Amino acid sequence: MQLKRRKFIQLGSAAGAALTVGSQFGMKAKAAALMELKQTGSASPTGKKNQEIPYTCLTCNIEDGGIAYVEDGRIRRLEGNPNHPGNRGKLCAKGNAGHLHVYDPTRILNPLKRIGPRGSGKWKRISWDEALSEVAGKIQGAMDIDPMSIMFQYGRNRTHGLVYRFMNALGSGTVNNHTSICECNKKVAMEHAWGPDIETPDFAHTKYILNFGSNLAEAAYFHNPYIQRLIDGKVENKAKLVTFDPRMTNTGAISDEWVPLKPATDGIVALAMCNVILQEGLADTEFIRKYTNVTAHQLAEHLKQFSPEFAEKESGVSADTIRRIAIEFATAGPATTYTYRGSSMHQNGVYTEKATMMLNVVTGNIEKRGGFNLPRGLGFGGGPGPHPPKPPHSILKYPPEYPLASHHVSHHVSHSILEGRQKINVFMLYCHNPLYTQPDGDTWKELLSSEKHIPYSVSFSINMDSSTEYADIILPDTTFLERWDPESMPSSALGWVGLRQPVIKPLGNAKAFRDTIYELAQKIDPDGKRGVKKYFSYGSAESYVKNQLEATPGLKAAGGFKLLKKYGVWPFYDKKKEDNFKFGAHEEALSESDLAGTTLEGRTLMKGGKSVGLMVDGKAVRGFGTPSRTFQVNVPEWEHYGFEPMPHYEPIEDHKRMKSDELLLSTYKPNVHTQSRTPNLKWLQELHHRNPAWINSETAKARGIGDDELIRITSPIGYMVTKARVTEAIHPQVVAIATSSGMTNKATVGNYGGTKDPDIVQNTWWDDTGVHPNQIIPVSTDPIGGGMGWFDTVITVTKAKAGDKYGDTHSDRGAARKAFEKALSKATKVRDSGDAHNTTAKTNVRDERHTEVGGVFGTTAKLRDFEDPHNTTA
Amino acid sequence: MAKKKKYAMVIDINRCIGCKACMTSCKAENDVPLGVFRNHVRELEKGIYPNMKKIFLPVLCNHCDKPACKAALPEGYEDAITKRDDGIVVWDEAKCKGKVAEAAIEGCPYSNAFMHPQKNVFQKCDYCVHRVDAGLQPACVSTCIGGARIFGDVNDSTSDVFKYMATHSTHVLKPEEGTTPNTYYVALDRITAERLEGSQQLPPTDATEIAVENFSG
Repeated sequence: MQLKRRKFIQLGSAAGAALTVGSQFGMKAKAAALMELKQTGSASPTGKKNQEIPYTCLTCNIEDGGIAYVEDGRIRRLEGNPNHPGNRGKLCAKGNAGHLHVYDPTRILNPLKRIGPRGSGKWKRISWDEALSEVAGKIQGAMDIDPMSIMFQYGRNRTHGLVYRFMNALGSGTVNNHTSICECNKKVAMEHAWGPDIETPDFAHTKYILNFGSNLAEAAYFHNPYIQRLIDGKVENKAKLVTFDPRMTNTGAISDEWVPLKPATDGIVALAMCNVILQEGLADTEFIRKYTNVTAHQLAEHLKQFSPEFAEKESGVSADTIRRIAIEFATAGPATTYTYRGSSMHQNGVYTEKATMMLNVVTGNIEKRGGFNLPRGLGFGGGPGPHPPKPPHSILKYPPEYPLASHHVSHHVSHSILEGRQKINVFMLYCHNPLYTQPDGDTWKELLSSEKHIPYSVSFSINMDSSTEYADIILPDTTFLERWDPESMPSSALGWVGLRQPVIKPLGNAKAFRDTIYELAQKIDPDGKRGVKKYFSYGSAESYVKNQLEATPGLKAAGGFKLLKKYGVWPFYDKKKEDNFKFGAHEEALSESDLAGTTLEGRTLMKGGKSVGLMVDGKAVRGFGTPSRTFQVNVPEWEHYGFEPMPHYEPIEDHKRMKSDELLLSTYKPNVHTQSRTPNLKWLQELHHRNPAWINSETAKARGIGDDELIRITSPIGYMVTKARVTEAIHPQVVAIATSSGMTNKATVGNYGGTKDPDIVQNTWWDDTGVHPNQIIPVSTDPIGGGMGWFDTVITVTKAKAGDKYGDTHSDRGAARKAFEKALSKATKVRDSGDAHNTTAKTNVRDERHTEVGGVFGTTAKLRDFEDPHNTTA
Repeated sequence: MAKKKKYAMVIDINRCIGCKACMTSCKAENDVPLGVFRNHVRELEKGIYPNMKKIFLPVLCNHCDKPACKAALPEGYEDAITKRDDGIVVWDEAKCKGKVAEAAIEGCPYSNAFMHPQKNVFQKCDYCVHRVDAGLQPACVSTCIGGARIFGDVNDSTSDVFKYMATHSTHVLKPEEGTTPNTYYVALDRITAERLEGSQQLPPTDATEIAVENFSG
């Protein structure tokens, strides 16, 4: 329980005073005369002793551990939890500002009912009883017609099962997440290749990192924990970092080499490098032979088509650079790649993700010190029984034309409902702002405005975001500092479970979503006749979360829920353990009991219809979490649906046809913001509040565009007028715009002056809050993963036209529709009859398979199959 | 008898990722108003595509041995700013205000001091003296994700800051000013070596947009 990482020792008489602020989280003094300067602890300017309450952060979704210092019932300050194995006592810029969410002067603190037309901004305060009675009545009505017509759309849902418990109890499978606009292509590729949906590279002990388009220094999974280790690796272990990215990110800045490339070509660069590694005789042929489902010879022959010269033609990265980096990567010692959304959220993203994974396969850098490793997480339970049965899946959730898209196709939902694919009677929105965060946001606006398509709309929200403005009723949610959740993320080689607990009572009449749902269930089914209430009989939110966490193996013996309430996380960070972590999970021998009753199919050991192990040179080992237990270089399931089973590069059709004056639009997350949930936090907004479009100086010059001048960006579905940031830090064919700016709502600091925070009233020095690009980004989709092609939009950029005003955006409804149809035209050719209940057997088979593979290696998915089983991170 | 305590901070530029956690933690810890900052992360960018370099330079009060802010105080107000025995440069809010504060702010060759917009008093980084006195690291050090900030007693040979300085080459900003800073940098020479001196402060969207000075190690 002591933090030993930092050893700041000081002498001095002041040390005595420090003991009074001694924290259960900090270090203990080694001796009375010697005092270490502790990393964390409270020193309130008032001199009052603060309560110290651990919590799990949720400003973004890394789930770092923190400690809240509470003085007179108010959160004075947040700090990192030094016991946390992920973030080791550090918080990022966002985390340090997290409590501003609680005291956001525009927070909604009472239930609100719409009294004007939708979106008019006219509301009246109502009581919780009135609000819940109304929502319950609407849900009862919809249940009587068709429970599937009750839709739940969530985004950053960290309830770990509660949304599904609720919707399953109502009998509706019409639940939609947001993973298709996040990183689902990466997940789908990884699941089919090796089982889990993410990697945990051993950055601290590696010698070489090839980063394809991720921006770990600013965002990505797991920004804070991973960049700490990456910097340790770079500075202490002298690892080389090479970043492929069309934009010079802060990760590019700290890289030894920044290699800009044309978007959506990471895959061909990676495959050409794999080709070089095999041709040069630098491959780990033993790993390929033992642990993949191809031979080194087959693979070498297959990769020959991806020459460095071809890769140069596609990507703009010289063949010489590709050869050099390939050889460096293969000979550096332990090495790893890293990717997140940048390379995979293209229409060819699944192929790209597999291609970059292949670099680790051909060099045998899988599951070893300093390598590209399986995620380790601890799981928790599904909460108190009984559990409602699973209703059929909605075709909005699993459209049959995307048979491999196991993480939903959320960005198709607006168009699909508008075209009448499924009838919705009640729409519920939770932690999601589709008008802002989804592509083609105006189609979402059209949908949420339409009382024909969405007859009744509920938003569970902490503030008036752009989508909540279109709700019929708003049920004020609490912030992450006023609620209960279990958490676990594979953000360190050492798995952990964490607790999110209320550090203060909810402000005003805000109610935690968990409590709202519980009470709503009682209102919907007061006498139990609808069969809903029995699943909501566990009492408090705390007891539910306690039940989930106490299912974690080993936690009870270590102190159970009480320990988590006191320390926030279990087990505690242990540097020695992490530095000496033993990888090689795939080589682990099966035990006698594992082996009992198994049969052999090829090299795969089967038990009860499931694959459990792999035979390697006469030894039965665990292998990987795939149906064959190998690392699947060849994915037979992809071939089944007409996709390429072997490592593949698929150029983007639109990019092949680009005219010489056309460019590509890219978006990015700056280091001090999340996608959409932080412009209401003044300290973050001050650091980044506007988002001029990055454009290369040559590109700007050719168009007569000067720095900070007005420009018009035209996409296939519309145009926007913004300002140019002329820079050398971007590929000449790419224009990049930051997200988190361009919000028109009053919660955004800089948009309004009517707040009670005197600091904001008196000292806000900016009124430019940027222009958001999503309205002009059309829907496009990876036909395998079902993920959004975020960085594929072909645009033209000109000086602004006469009459153009900063902030103008326009989208064409017909063109937006056409873009959606174009995306669909590339999907697998299976369309449904339009019956929401008519889900194919394939969908269910897929679900089960993912539940199974998710269970391998004790990833977080293991105990979470009650929910979206593979959604470790989204 | 142990040597007198002397606090110093080392910032290793090789470990800075430009994340700005130091900036928001400082705002939160010290209740710093919008529009002013006790610490900055300057982003320096130079080169022609694709040969670009970008580097982060965190700046804060140097807690100089010969504080120029103190030297600039008008006669009769010499005690408005104090160099503590442990090296931390602090100010007296009751005295360091108005014209007195203006003179001190003007006197800092690093532009690291400013006026509190409402209180009209002198402000700058004080190494989180209230935390240090309570046995805690300054807020920016505590939260530094890259582990770029090392703080402690340079007179204590067992301290991390002593050891870091003993094993790394360090430089200070503007040594020619003769103020003898106690905020040291590792790899400051990268700014000259990578031709970043005189480069533009970036990005222009930021509050950190200040004309960059010619930093020479």
